[in-house]
Amino acid sequence: MNRLLAMIAACLLALSAHGAGKAERGKEKAAQKINNQACADCHGATGDAPKEKDQPILAGQYPDYIAKALSDYKSGKRKNAVMNGVAKELSKQDIEDLAAWFSSQKSEKLHFQR
Amino acid sequence: MAAPAFAQQAAPAGDPAEAHKKIAMCEGCHGIAGYKTAYPMVYHVPKLGGQSAAYISNALNAYKVGQRVHPSMRGIAAGLSDKDIADLAAYYSAPPGAGHK
Repeated sequence: MNRLLAMIAACLLALSAHGAGKAERGKEKAAQKINNQACADCHGATGDAPKEKDQPILAGQYPDYIAKALSDYKSGKRKNAVMNGVAKELSKQDIEDLAAWFSSQKSEKLHFQR
Repeated sequence: MAAPAFAQQAAPAGDPAEAHKKIAMCEGCHGIAGYKTAYPMVYHVPKLGGQSAAYISNALNAYKVGQRVHPSMRGIAAGLSDKDIADLAAYYSAPPGAGHK
């Protein structure tokens, strides 16, 4: 019985470790060059400073939305030449980590607009 | 850098006050803090306030032509004119409460 409980606990631990993004790892990933470009190069280190007008603010955005966007760029369902190239190189864990990093950052600009 | 797909189009000037008459379709999801879309997947609908007008109008145009795929957004964007899109982009890129009277 105790052994069964221990096994269940181990499984739950493994699940939570896999599912949750680690913001600190996401911070490192955001600064890392992928195809010669880092997330931070265009979106800013915290995701609060898009370089070009058509690039979104990521800081403070919902983590599950960021993860969905990256997954769709990875699969090609959502199309953008730069983002498809970058997202293709990301693992599922990278995506969760980046979502955790950017969503946990503060933005003075992004706000809830009714 | 790849050129943004719709940036070259000459867009009409957007007016946040005009958009206020057109956000009924948007605010049912984007106007409720923490709201989640349930189909085809469950996740939070994105915060839009403060994103650039170019980003918002690119997204709406991409939904309109089916280049960006989401059933609800496709249906809504299909009914938007260029002026509607410009107004909504102006509205969502503006400071909190813009266009509200």
